Amino acid sequence: MTQHQPDPTETLILRGVYFDGQSSRDREAELQIRGEQASLKIMSGEPLPQRQESWPQRVLVIEPPLTRVRRVIRLPGGGRFETQDDAGVSLLESRTHRNWGLGRVRRIEASWGLTLGAVITLGLFVWGFLSFGLPALARSAAAATPRSVLASFDQAAIKTLDNGSFMGPTHLGKARQAQLQAEFATIGKWAGGNYPYRLLLRNGKPATSDGAGFAIGANAFALPNGTVVMTDQLVALSRNDRELMGVLAHETGHVTHRHALASVYQGLGLTLLGTAITGDLVSAGTFAAAVPTALLTNGYSRQAETQADESAAAYMLGQYHTTKPLRDLLARLELDDKNASEGDVKADVRVKDMLQTHPGTRQRLDHLRALEQAARK
Amino acid sequence: MSEPDHPLPNDRQADPRGRDAERLPEPGLVPGSAASAGTAQSVRTVEVGGTALQVQTYPVTFTGDAREYFRIWIVNAALSVVTLGGYTPWARIRTRQYFYGHTWVDGHNFDYVANPWALLRGYLIVAAFMLVYLIATRFPFKNSEYVVAAIAVLFVLVYPWLVRQSMRFLARTTVHRGISFRFLGSLGAAYLSYGLANIVALFSGGLGLPWALFMQRRFQVDGLAYGQARGHFRGDVGHFYLIALTAMGISIAAGVVFAALALGVFGLAGLFSWHPRARSDLSLGAMVGLVAAYLGLLLMSGVVREYMRAAMMRSVLNNVELGGVVRLGASFSPWMLAWISVSNYAAQLVSLGLLTPWAAVRRTKYVLEQVQVRAIVSLDSFSADTAGQESALGEAASELLDINLGF
Repeated sequence: MTQHQPDPTETLILRGVYFDGQSSRDREAELQIRGEQASLKIMSGEPLPQRQESWPQRVLVIEPPLTRVRRVIRLPGGGRFETQDDAGVSLLESRTHRNWGLGRVRRIEASWGLTLGAVITLGLFVWGFLSFGLPALARSAAAATPRSVLASFDQAAIKTLDNGSFMGPTHLGKARQAQLQAEFATIGKWAGGNYPYRLLLRNGKPATSDGAGFAIGANAFALPNGTVVMTDQLVALSRNDRELMGVLAHETGHVTHRHALASVYQGLGLTLLGTAITGDLVSAGTFAAAVPTALLTNGYSRQAETQADESAAAYMLGQYHTTKPLRDLLARLELDDKNASEGDVKADVRVKDMLQTHPGTRQRLDHLRALEQAARK
Repeated sequence: MSEPDHPLPNDRQADPRGRDAERLPEPGLVPGSAASAGTAQSVRTVEVGGTALQVQTYPVTFTGDAREYFRIWIVNAALSVVTLGGYTPWARIRTRQYFYGHTWVDGHNFDYVANPWALLRGYLIVAAFMLVYLIATRFPFKNSEYVVAAIAVLFVLVYPWLVRQSMRFLARTTVHRGISFRFLGSLGAAYLSYGLANIVALFSGGLGLPWALFMQRRFQVDGLAYGQARGHFRGDVGHFYLIALTAMGISIAAGVVFAALALGVFGLAGLFSWHPRARSDLSLGAMVGLVAAYLGLLLMSGVVREYMRAAMMRSVLNNVELGGVVRLGASFSPWMLAWISVSNYAAQLVSLGLLTPWAAVRRTKYVLEQVQVRAIVSLDSFSADTAGQESALGEAASELLDINLGF
């Protein structure tokens, strides 16, 4: 082992093995660093044939340190000096200010306490990024996305949805359709944002000849550029148009906040982040990575639903001074029962809540009621 | 199965050592005098064609430690995330260096000498393509489907080339005893083994798969060079078919057993459900049965896949020859390795990934410590390939094109 004197001009002697880069022969050697000069002395085997044995020390390349791995110093001309004398090499590094960054990393890696600190930092960073950074980034990206992209989204989605395997033409009468369209136009004006709002009324059963497909049932949803789809089944479940307008206002909330686009960007960000952590493309798509991704995506989706509910509440409080119609319809939807009322909806278990794209219906009802009460004060 | 303990060569005895040849044999120098771990164990004398050859067996030792590697791994993860992926190349290099640096043969370890900036450049190129691909698949902009198709076709077309570039990168950055490995497989061979062979495997309904895997392993080993010593793959395709058949037989047998078990669970659940509310009992029984069958199938396919991997790895290792003077032998049990791999997955899943470093060290230690290097020359007698040294420009160009995709 090397004797460590504080004097920086002291000769540093490292014992190790030398490889000349020409053959796999190992030679016992000593590397001496005296001031600015480094010289190699072969201790066994035949001496070096006509090779320079002395260099200015700054041309030596010291490979970055790694715990308990033999240290390597690369010499000019392809030679390598390998040594177990980590303390000696570290002294040389600190004297000549080399490998500062990775030397720090090694010090962290060597200690459990510092490692724990790194883990906590990692956790905080990931938590902060996922709860604030990524949603904010996705929101700004969504806001900056040009309208033409939104329009092509709507077109592509309607083309897919109208292929018959999800829904068919509406069975509502002409007059009823016109009435709903007129009421929706008011909401469109209220929601603003200059989107080309459009209400598509559809039957929520597949229009295929054999009835095969995926029935969307009683439902309503919005596409990014203001196209809102509502099914006959939802119309049938409602008792008055205020309920339906509550739903449609909720959907325009998704449009004005650009939730659909933001969720696309969030998914993109999660994929890239997963790739950055795991370091390769394949494992980012595996089951173990898919589960946290899905949980996070659902979390973002629940936040978006809450925000859309708040839009609906704002519209309803302005127009009807109550959110009750929407709450009633929600309760009937939740329990799949035409006679159900708000009070029948039970609270969900919290774990189950995490697995869903919407907040628990009980929670939504309570939130809507709280908004109404706040407005009354 | 392959013979793990056969004497060394009878076929290729061409001397690969070039101008160093006259220096041998040289019992005077004790190998690994300055290092800590792993010295030669056994020497056997074998008669080949009237000449006595000394076969020296060197064990491979692995001195990595799970707790130590855990700290490196977790710090790597933390720094990679905090730098938004920018540290990833350095993380990759430290990981490799740890495993290489703790792998010892005859008193000397391996080293990984990749340039982090070269790795970063490769990652950025791949990331750029991936970003375009992801955007094109998620945003229906004009002609986006053509962009997706173009990237997919491009990837398929350049895949064999990419594999070859990766092999070159990996070989060039692996150093042992001051000499780096190289990969000299030709581009034609790459397109044969990773292009044509994969297509054949795909369109032959799996019948060609063992052949494709054989071609790929042969390409990898034959293209390898350590200094002037060229790799040679002595295996034959029959072995690969034997392994595939074994795996298939096990899958079928296990499938039958699971089907019987699943039926049994369904049957029992139905039999005992006489109660008026039997429907719910039945569905509970069926649920348990289904989940059990699913987990069982998952376990079985995992075991079979890992067995195949392990058996092929062993077969390949047993058939690696270097310069006609060095052969590898692997004596690990494919079943034991399959068990280690599958239980590793389970441990990683249960620990939410925190046992990943432990799993990696455990598997590496088991595999490496059952590998032996058998040589009829001293391991210090290899020479670097100085004759075929590329020009500085050629070196720079090939370094620019050598991309590591993590193979």
